[in-house]
Amino acid sequence: MLIVNGRIHDGLGTVRREDLRMAEGRISQIGENLCPEDGEEVFDAADMEILPGFVQAISQWGVNGSMQEIRPSANDNDETSNPITPELDGFYAFNGRAATAQQLGAFGLTVCGIAPSDNNLFGGTIAAFEVDGVNPYKMCLKRDIGMMASVTEHLKQTYRMRPAAPQTRMWIFANFAEQLRKASAYKTEPGKPADEKLAALRRVVEGELPLFVSCDSKVAAERVREIVEHYPKLRLVLVNGFGLEGTEEWVIERNIPVIVRTAAFPLDESAMTLDLEAIAQLVRQGIPVALSGTYTNSLSAREDMLWNGIEMMKLLHDSEAVLPMLTSVPARILGLDDLTGTLEPGKRADLVIWSANPLETWQANVVHTYQGGRLIYQEGDEMKCM
Amino acid sequence: MYVIQNGMLYTMEEQGVICADLRVEDGKIAEIGEKLSTEGAEVINAAGKCVTPGFIDAHSHVGGLMSMTDDDLNELTNPLTPELDAYYGINPNDKCFSVCIRQGITTSCLIPGSGNVVGGWGMAYKSAGEDRVIRRPAALKAAMGINPKGCYAPKNMTPMTRMAIANLLRTYLRNVKEYMEKKLEAAENPEKMPPYDLGLEHGIPVLEKKIPLKVHSYMHDMMTVLEIAKEFDILVTLDHAQGASDYYEELSDEHVQGVIFGPTCAPLFAGEGGKLDPECCKGLDDRGIPVAVMTDGPVTTVNMLVYEMGEAVRRGMDPVRALAMVTSNAAQILGIKERVGSLSVGKDADILIWSKLPSLATDAVLENVLIDGEMVLR
Repeated sequence: MLIVNGRIHDGLGTVRREDLRMAEGRISQIGENLCPEDGEEVFDAADMEILPGFVQAISQWGVNGSMQEIRPSANDNDETSNPITPELDGFYAFNGRAATAQQLGAFGLTVCGIAPSDNNLFGGTIAAFEVDGVNPYKMCLKRDIGMMASVTEHLKQTYRMRPAAPQTRMWIFANFAEQLRKASAYKTEPGKPADEKLAALRRVVEGELPLFVSCDSKVAAERVREIVEHYPKLRLVLVNGFGLEGTEEWVIERNIPVIVRTAAFPLDESAMTLDLEAIAQLVRQGIPVALSGTYTNSLSAREDMLWNGIEMMKLLHDSEAVLPMLTSVPARILGLDDLTGTLEPGKRADLVIWSANPLETWQANVVHTYQGGRLIYQEGDEMKCM
Repeated sequence: MYVIQNGMLYTMEEQGVICADLRVEDGKIAEIGEKLSTEGAEVINAAGKCVTPGFIDAHSHVGGLMSMTDDDLNELTNPLTPELDAYYGINPNDKCFSVCIRQGITTSCLIPGSGNVVGGWGMAYKSAGEDRVIRRPAALKAAMGINPKGCYAPKNMTPMTRMAIANLLRTYLRNVKEYMEKKLEAAENPEKMPPYDLGLEHGIPVLEKKIPLKVHSYMHDMMTVLEIAKEFDILVTLDHAQGASDYYEELSDEHVQGVIFGPTCAPLFAGEGGKLDPECCKGLDDRGIPVAVMTDGPVTTVNMLVYEMGEAVRRGMDPVRALAMVTSNAAQILGIKERVGSLSVGKDADILIWSKLPSLATDAVLENVLIDGEMVLR
């Protein structure tokens, strides 16, 4: 299929009026005046904007729980029987049909990351999926993306009622430090059963698996910094973006990626402290900043990615600077940059044709959304209900 | 005193959008016209900028709801608490009001939460100033559906079901009606005067159609509300109203004072959260049904009014009609249009100056906010 005359925003900061060819689920060619091949379908995207599909780095899409199941139950990414569960795989939290039911293509999304919740110190690994499909194994773009950790107040709130640890920040950081120390010293011994928790964390301290740490305050970010400095190979990703004040220099010096989740659900006191101007400063310094959904994922709106981009527009006033934060940067942080997040030949054809640039005007509609070259939404499709 | 010069004034009155000067004096809009005298006034150059009325959030809990555990607006000990009044739950110094100002919200309808079938009185309240109460009561709050169910069923208390919710609401209104009849009889025979009942007293302005019953209602629950509204001949506002696009015909009804849609901030849930239709704003407006939007703050972010206007515009609504949802329509639905909601002489000087039109340009920045003629954001 050939899309002609559209303005192609590559997700890396440039825009040009060219034609784009999709073949076998990939972008096969981008260039001027491409000629249709025999029998090739041509779509005229004159006056339209072609953007990479949004990549929501950490999301709740397709994660089933009490709101969707026939019995009250925990969300499938929320194994709070124990605050230390690094051996778990976030892949299993994802239900393809539940994600598809949200019709995310209509909101410009084509990829979602699924992570264990913020309620465990070490929750397990992160996976990324297409947003439309049935079989999670076919929808999965990558497993084992990184280890999700949380040093937030959510741990205390979750376990305090049991009662069980953690009840305090003392426990949280003592165990954050101690688990990493044990993992760095961990060796499998022949004849002895492996410690799967330490084996999982061993990969983190060795830098094999990035550590995504959800932080909700300045003190949390400071303590994380002190603890991870002992492990030079450890690759840190900071999640949330609030409470970073005072650690900007370190973030810039170490070029630490940041995934921003906003305060769209501001009953959370710490989320209210998000300082987007400070985030904009990090962007200006070249730090990879991805915009994601809301801090309290379970109430995340389908529009959150776009709205978060719009909030950043109010500070940067440059849609080509904001677009990468929704596309190429989250793809890179998730290690999906060989697959998606930009419009370049060889990448998956994960792209959205908009009637106007949605970062610049509210009068912008999704015309077509392609996921791996497959049309998953087009303007006029009926919106699903439950 | 201020003179705002050469701004594009979105008056939300019959004259529409005009390029003119606007003079603010003694907290009111004193004059609108070309080349107004600036003597004794601070001049604000608004050339190239958009001047709108202050935004009105038609459904909010800011100042009374700090967190899920620090809640002064949900008295969850009895599903019928009509005797309560949001006024007493609100902390005027709550930091959320300064967040409201940064988002252009100058007036909010502050109401009890939706845990109770009848929650109590709500009021229209300014985000800053000396005399912040515009209208009290502005509405009696009620709630249908999962919120009362979800609050009381775990305690093995009623209401556990929508059956009981309909019954509780109807019983309350019937009691108010009987109470009013007894008071009427007592005019001739003082011995018949019923004992004073504050909860029933709070229902009288509803039965007299002076204030609406403001009902948290989604999808088919709106039809239950409408049935009860007709039965008692009262005015209602349908708040949240997701699924309103299924009921355009039914909602064109004299008992519906307005539909207050939102917050547009959720995934698709099962049950009453099973339909998300921001397109209904245009659909309702096209049919002449007064429509406003809400933040439900601080449950969701108070940025939400701009998002809701924007999402309605994305679905085909005219940007100025979208602006009406947070200004003139909201004022009309809340019964405060004599004071706020438009730029016209004599109205409170609650004024916003934007770099661009916020219902159209995504990067519109709010530069100035005036409340009662005082500059509260600069």
